Amino acid sequence: MTVSAGAPEPAAMEDTRPAALTFDKVSMRFPDGTQAIGEVSLTIRQGEFVSIVGPSGCGKSTLLKIASGLFPQTTGTVTVDRSHLGYTFQDATLLPWRKVLGNVELLMELRGYPKEERRRIALEQISLVGLDGFANHYPKRLSGGMRMRASLARSLSLNPTVFMFDEPFGALDEITRERLNDELLSLYMRKGFTGLFITHSISEAVYLSSKVIVMSRRPGTILNVYDIPFGFPRSPELRYDPVFTELCGEISVSLREATEGGA
Amino acid sequence: MSTISPTAKGINSGAGSMSNSTPTMNTTTYQPVPFSKPRGPLSQVAMVVIPPLVVFALFLVLYTWVRSGLEPHRQFLMPSGSELWHNAFALPEIRYELLTRALTTIGIALTGLAVSIPIGILLAVIMFRAMILERALFPNIVAMQSIPTLAIIPLIQTALGFGMLPKVLIVAKFTLFAIPITLLLGLKSVDRGIIDLFRLQGARWHTILFKACFPSAAPSLFAGLRIAASLAVISAIVSELFFLAGRGGLGQMIINSKIDFKYEQMYAGLITATLLSVSVYIIFTWLGNRFFAGWHESGAPQT
Repeated sequence: MTVSAGAPEPAAMEDTRPAALTFDKVSMRFPDGTQAIGEVSLTIRQGEFVSIVGPSGCGKSTLLKIASGLFPQTTGTVTVDRSHLGYTFQDATLLPWRKVLGNVELLMELRGYPKEERRRIALEQISLVGLDGFANHYPKRLSGGMRMRASLARSLSLNPTVFMFDEPFGALDEITRERLNDELLSLYMRKGFTGLFITHSISEAVYLSSKVIVMSRRPGTILNVYDIPFGFPRSPELRYDPVFTELCGEISVSLREATEGGA
Repeated sequence: MSTISPTAKGINSGAGSMSNSTPTMNTTTYQPVPFSKPRGPLSQVAMVVIPPLVVFALFLVLYTWVRSGLEPHRQFLMPSGSELWHNAFALPEIRYELLTRALTTIGIALTGLAVSIPIGILLAVIMFRAMILERALFPNIVAMQSIPTLAIIPLIQTALGFGMLPKVLIVAKFTLFAIPITLLLGLKSVDRGIIDLFRLQGARWHTILFKACFPSAAPSLFAGLRIAASLAVISAIVSELFFLAGRGGLGQMIINSKIDFKYEQMYAGLITATLLSVSVYIIFTWLGNRFFAGWHESGAPQT
């Protein structure tokens, strides 16, 4: 009942949590006529962690940009609270001329937080993502994984209610990525935000999420929705669980159909 | 050393005669090659200072050689080192004149920059604000740059007389071009994601300009400032060549020395002007490195 799409809905219990993000018949056409998003309706409930996978160029990132307000949709409505929005980009997008501390303070600065409060919250977040001792480093001296941690800390500083991730770990190596997945999960449990996560990696989507959405080729629509039956917290061993592997396989088949199917 | 692949003959032998036999393999054992020892700080400085001095010394040799080929009555065109010293740099009154005239010239150059830098920055920001403004202004800036400055100096003279103002304007016109061009390029090269990051917080245009675009564009602006700064001294001297009344700077000294047939003094003026121009360039480069060494690739210490 949480996600309505053309695809058959998996049997799920009635979810009564209030909606954090609702797409009602949202479509998006660029000025040059390219139809980026077909027609998408979906509801993400508070506290859910939803991942979206889909063929490259299917409009996953566009969907996220619409949800965050960076792009306007062409038709349909989006209902969301953007006042406490977390958003991470495909790369860390740190300001290279600011040290880690200055970067983590940036959003609070734009929001007009007082200086001392900014400093205090920033140092807390830096510690939370495990960057203690790196507050006075310029981004160019950090590894890719550390930059992404700083980027997460920056988003966390606003204490987001909805946190959107646009393939944040795509450029990282496998080990760093899995470690950041675990840290993201513990942040999710600790902070209790609602997560919307775009990724290319099926196992990453399954590992992180309570729900995985498969999108079709462009113009992107929702093809399938998978409820992920594992509770939280999750441990890395979950990746070797037969049910986990089977789910990944199923989603992989669906994704291949999405990529090749004559939609 | 050895062949690992089929011989050239084998490759060129054509499709018809291709055989499946494995090519013969001649292995070679490669010995380790140690890296050269890292240089001490003194040696590092020497590596920066000595090569340009060597080239300069070669240039002096060339100068001496050309000079020795001149007929004796034309050798005044290229004074020797000792002539230069005895007739110019060794004389206190000449040294004093060089110093005061250099100050006049640098005054004109810096005042010109003080005019052109703010105007250049403002032009870049206006062009950055909207595409339509860029389309409107950019061709005109290029057109202005294309006006031969030397050709309009007589006009400037007639209009503005012989004071400080016309010279400052000439310097400003010379140095303006590099600033909006480099700054606009820098402003437009800001990471899209950073702009989005600001937009997500509802940041206004001027906030994005000051907190994202300007810092990001600062290294390219400094590249423009470096060009402008070295042009400033040159154009200050050029401007003086046309204004001989009153007490002028090095440019006037160069012309006057020619009139008075004091070629050593003329060379002294030229050398001082060059040193001035080079030092302005070095100062701006040094400032840029200081500002950006921490975060920008261009500021990374050279190895």
